[in-house]
Amino acid sequence: MRGIAERLIDYETPKKTSTATATTANFQVTERLRPHLATLMGNGGFRALLARALALASAEVSWLRAVQVNADGTLEGLAAPHARLTPAEFREGRVVLLAQLLGLLVAFIGPGLTSRLVGEIWPQLAADNVDFGKGDKK
Amino acid sequence: MKKSKRTARLSPPRTALLKTSLPKKLASDPAKVRIHQLSTGVRGLDDILGGGIPEFSLNVLAGPPGCGKTTLVHQIAFANATPKKPALYFTVLGEPILKMMRYQQQFSFFDEAKVGKAVRFINLSDVALEKDLAAVLEEIIAHVTAANAGVVVLDSFRTLARKAISDVGEVEVQSFLHRLAQFLTSCEATTFLVGEYVEDEVRDNSLFTMVDGILWLSQVTERNSVVRKLQIMKLRGQATVPGLHTVRITHDGLQVFSRTLGLMGDKPKPAHRRRLSTGIPDLDKMLGGGILEGDSVLVAGPSGTGKSALATQFIAEGLRRGEKGIMAIFEERPQGYAQRADSFGLDLKSAENKGTLELLYMRPLDLSVDETMQAILDAIKRVGAKRLVIDSLVGFEMALAPGFRTDFRESLYRMIGALTGAGITILSTVEVEDNFTSLQFSHYAISFLTDDIIRLRYVEIDGQLRKTMVVIKMRGGNHSKDIREYVITAEGVVVIHPRRTDYAELSTGIPHRTGPRKAQENEAAPEPKASK
Repeated sequence: MRGIAERLIDYETPKKTSTATATTANFQVTERLRPHLATLMGNGGFRALLARALALASAEVSWLRAVQVNADGTLEGLAAPHARLTPAEFREGRVVLLAQLLGLLVAFIGPGLTSRLVGEIWPQLAADNVDFGKGDKK
Repeated sequence: MKKSKRTARLSPPRTALLKTSLPKKLASDPAKVRIHQLSTGVRGLDDILGGGIPEFSLNVLAGPPGCGKTTLVHQIAFANATPKKPALYFTVLGEPILKMMRYQQQFSFFDEAKVGKAVRFINLSDVALEKDLAAVLEEIIAHVTAANAGVVVLDSFRTLARKAISDVGEVEVQSFLHRLAQFLTSCEATTFLVGEYVEDEVRDNSLFTMVDGILWLSQVTERNSVVRKLQIMKLRGQATVPGLHTVRITHDGLQVFSRTLGLMGDKPKPAHRRRLSTGIPDLDKMLGGGILEGDSVLVAGPSGTGKSALATQFIAEGLRRGEKGIMAIFEERPQGYAQRADSFGLDLKSAENKGTLELLYMRPLDLSVDETMQAILDAIKRVGAKRLVIDSLVGFEMALAPGFRTDFRESLYRMIGALTGAGITILSTVEVEDNFTSLQFSHYAISFLTDDIIRLRYVEIDGQLRKTMVVIKMRGGNHSKDIREYVITAEGVVVIHPRRTDYAELSTGIPHRTGPRKAQENEAAPEPKASK
């Protein structure tokens, strides 16, 4: 799942980013997933799923413990870690959180439907024949 | 005015024009609107509905939790959804969509390729919780219009309505429903409102007056058995099959078994029918040449008299003559059954492997007659069978859920009628007790639905418990009235003696000798195994 998460983050990260745009692009993937998943689950449902993914990811990446999920499903508390951490450390948090979120989706609705859902948002992923059935929840 | 006069004089009246230009029948009977029907994708349901769900209708799918509402509506959605006319599944304060997808994808009808394009899931819980009914309606209108939906599902409508009634009152809910129905009909969408209603609500809730169709699912508990049922409580514009129909949920989703399965399409028996050999030459003679094709034969007798052996010989003889067969077994396992047939030199296993015979083992203890009938009809179609054995009716009754046992006679009548109507010759066995004072045929008083009855019984003769058979009844022709002694050998049932004239009251089981006893030192036992 980590490989897919990295690939999605790469899709959403411009090749050349300034520090300012990098902050807004940091969690662009979860932001793009949010309306689609909220249509299925409601904002409350998406918030619950993201909060669970964050809790699981925080066990692996300690700086994520400072991040919170708002009622509308957006993330809060990213600015300080972004300023403090190296780009690699920050990226690791993004990857782990997204991998956990995708892993939860696979656990609930299976690799087939997850792949279809994600493929609707990122058609290039579907074209690459990415297999959500492979790999663990991470 | 002038023009109108001229027109009136020159032009024939409109009705006259119609009469001259259209066929007579159409002229007197203007064309009616043709209501197209959506196939439900649920085996058996379209027939019960009278063809399917009427297009553009507003339907309620009601029933208590766990009776299959969500699965049924998913089946309908997946069966009808296309990318151009998708199915929109709105959930409102009901089962979360992720969980619904998790479970529904286990069914074979759930086509993952349709999700997102042809079948779209939309959660309206937030709107319902944070806003009002008008906002919910606005969301539905926006989604249905944008998607050009063909099927719309609202699940759970009851929860939404209950919340709205407590917030704004019943009139607002009525108004919402009225506007929703108007909009969805004008959008050419067929709608299903899913709700956990109880039957008492039908009287007081005007929703049930407003909708075009009500499909009611329930779970009927009797002793330890639970059976799912479906009733078409209402469906405007078409004739449905009334009553409660059995529902079974399998890997393929719901399957509905009509309570009138088999009553339709009953063909009269042809005037000239073949005689089918039973595989026991002397019994064929007693039957006037064999069993008439398409007859229902009952073989009644106590335990150990060779009913199953006789039934197996009947099937084996058919196989020898190229007539495929089905054996519906309720008391024994197929392996044991085939092994016993082996001991008579009847190789059922090879016939099974060749596909000319199917052993149906049905013993789940909560069957309905309709399911059994469907399973047998399916097997007959699969194999192309001409002969059927039901072994035994007592085992069949035991396999039924207790609720169905009370209707066993009527159900059997329907089943036998359906099968013989399809040209199948049926041999059923039934165990009866010998009481040595009367000659019983069966416990069920079902002789009226069988064409022929062969009675097997024990008779005490010369200090031995021997076996006799007699043909009691044969609707299609004359038959022997002889009571014949038979044995069960390595060849199966073998009739050994001509009728006994030296005994009276053989039918009681305790005959008395009327003629002189033959001089014999020690009468040899007729059965080889008894002589060992």
